[in-house]
Amino acid sequence: MSEILLEGHALGVHGEGVSIAPVDFSLARGGRLTLLGETGSGKSLIAQAIMGTLPSGLAASGELTIEGQAYAAAEGATRRALWGRRLALLPQEPWHALDPTMASGAQVAESHRYLRGLGRRRAREAARRDLVGLGLGLADAEGSLPGELSGGMAQRVAFAAASAGGAPLVIADEPTKGLDAPRRDAVVRLLAATPQRGGALLTITHDIEVARRLGGEVILLRRGRVVERGPAERLLSAPRSDYAKRLLEAEPSRWPAPPPPPATCGEPVVEARGLAKWRGGRALFRDLALSLRPGEIVGVVGPSGCGKSTLGDLLLGLTGTDAGEVKRAAGHRLAFQKLYQDPPAAFSPHWSLARLLDDLVRRHRLDRTAIAPLMTRLGLDRELLARRPGEISGGELQRFAILRVLLMEPRFLFADEPTSRLDPITQRDTLALLVELARERHCAVMLVSHDPALIERLCDRRLVLGQGEAVLAPESLDAQAV
Amino acid sequence: MKLSLALGAAPADGWRRLSTRRRLGLVLLGLLLAVAWLTPWLHDADPARQQLTRILESPTLAAPLGTDHLGRDMLARTAAALRLSLDMALLSVVSAAVPGILLGVIAGWRGGWGDRVLGGLADACLALPGLLLVLLLAAIAPGNFWALYVGIALVLWIEYFRVVRARTRVLVASPQLEASRLLGFGPGYLFRRHLWPELAPQVLTLAAFGAASAILAMAALGFVSVGLRPPTAELGLMMTELLPYYHEAPWAMAQPILALCLLVLSLNLLAAKETK
Repeated sequence: MSEILLEGHALGVHGEGVSIAPVDFSLARGGRLTLLGETGSGKSLIAQAIMGTLPSGLAASGELTIEGQAYAAAEGATRRALWGRRLALLPQEPWHALDPTMASGAQVAESHRYLRGLGRRRAREAARRDLVGLGLGLADAEGSLPGELSGGMAQRVAFAAASAGGAPLVIADEPTKGLDAPRRDAVVRLLAATPQRGGALLTITHDIEVARRLGGEVILLRRGRVVERGPAERLLSAPRSDYAKRLLEAEPSRWPAPPPPPATCGEPVVEARGLAKWRGGRALFRDLALSLRPGEIVGVVGPSGCGKSTLGDLLLGLTGTDAGEVKRAAGHRLAFQKLYQDPPAAFSPHWSLARLLDDLVRRHRLDRTAIAPLMTRLGLDRELLARRPGEISGGELQRFAILRVLLMEPRFLFADEPTSRLDPITQRDTLALLVELARERHCAVMLVSHDPALIERLCDRRLVLGQGEAVLAPESLDAQAV
Repeated sequence: MKLSLALGAAPADGWRRLSTRRRLGLVLLGLLLAVAWLTPWLHDADPARQQLTRILESPTLAAPLGTDHLGRDMLARTAAALRLSLDMALLSVVSAAVPGILLGVIAGWRGGWGDRVLGGLADACLALPGLLLVLLLAAIAPGNFWALYVGIALVLWIEYFRVVRARTRVLVASPQLEASRLLGFGPGYLFRRHLWPELAPQVLTLAAFGAASAILAMAALGFVSVGLRPPTAELGLMMTELLPYYHEAPWAMAQPILALCLLVLSLNLLAAKETK
């Protein structure tokens, strides 16, 4: 038996409106444990309970054994001395965890200096080695501020800073949130190196693919309870519980093949010719031509920062073009609508949904009777109307956003990663509804996603945006039919 | 309470959501308002009427808070001074907040050269010490309430402008505003539903602090005799006038001091951040 690094006995969290049922786990040297679950299932709280950083109002219960030393989970402060040295946390959204006013290299060097007691110069050298070892060139990362780095690079810098203390036990909280597939895989490789070096890795994620790639043991959580646990290979291929089965079926690659697209006809809703947009002296795309017909679902894929959202802004007329032209179908400008990535960010948080819908109805003298059937279609309960946007789930709110734009009888809808913050089951249901309703109403949809499998299953055609100078991949919109 | 309901987007259960400190502040302010405006109804005495036969009297039924060195009724004077201070506070807050918010929203929303000009103007005003500006105006028009008021308002609008502008800039770029704009809502709606609920708590805090500093500024100017002139009943002026008699009539001296303290305290309690 190899040495046990971390063991939890009946570790639970209780407090204001939260309850996480006691869970046991153990992590040996070289071990990998993944807590998998949808948003709000309490995964992150378990990490915070281990670190001893639970927000006030929440209390941990149970016991923890870290490298043979026993701790009461409730006494979080006792584990403070372990931070960085024995226990490292890679936080969510690393750009928030890095000091925005301090050069990246210096932040990594600080860990070496204060946690390992290296001298100033040796710490700097060690930081440099770390960054190079993570594939970050000297020039591009060491002297840059975190804000100047891309999400993936900031992630690696944060990882270097967190692991510089040489902690054998690494906890990664949603390490791949908001990253596209290639970057996600890079982060997973980075994380997998910890157990290979003889450490142990505890990962918290909602991404099934991450759990699959990391392997090891998986604990599937839902609403604060363990639904199923077992080795990743078994659980993620032959799940036993209903919830796990549904979760796996909701992965885009397992969605049923789409029905053949209906013959699209009619005048194009929106057309672009010779479209170009520069940002920071670099062409996001140029000479882009596209034409969308009513009821057509077009997918847009490409790495982060390649201009997917900018393309949407151009087509919606929210920003100007640098070259070329966009021709929108004659008619009302309000027929061009957008769905946002983060549903709560797209609503004013201070008013009830009923009030916001009522505003819309009054503003445009819409047919009030259209709301009730549409709500039923979208599976939205009437009771939700009395609540404010922050008081309902992300999936429900995104369906409210769909309701809101559908009331405008849109001709074109730009959906900017509308489900990337939702869990897989909600994602599948929401997108299926969106596509169904759009086809019914002859509304063209441009769906942005960083998941190629999702685009493949849902869309009639696909637009691939590239990076840098090579802009439009050979499969241009008009040529490519998936 | 009316103040918070009128200014904030607070719903009807606003009182329950207030912190204890704010409730305390509201109660205190309410009491002071009551003293200031109910006194003329309940106690019929002219704050300026001198009765040299009755100087520095202790509190009696005829003069519940005693009389000052010229035999004037202290209750009437304190109430009149409170009214003056509160009027001043309200006036300067409104006349600083309204242009401050308006210009802040415009600058934050439109950006461009208008933003730069207004920002520069605000910075230029900030470069002058506020009290200096007020003293300057007081020197130009000595003893004039309106000169004091204009000076204080001129100093105070900048805070509103800066806070509102910064918040507006963030909100204008936010998806929630873009979504509403795409749905065809105009600027009035965007302000009402998106901007104001975000701005109101901060504006309310600024207003309470602003009112307190306006009151303090007026009292300070009165105390050093560059503010309003006697025989006006004004808190700072009353302190100066009664200072020589603190030994004979400590209760008289205590009244303007206590009134000023409680007034500023109530406003500062109101301005206190909700700590949660």
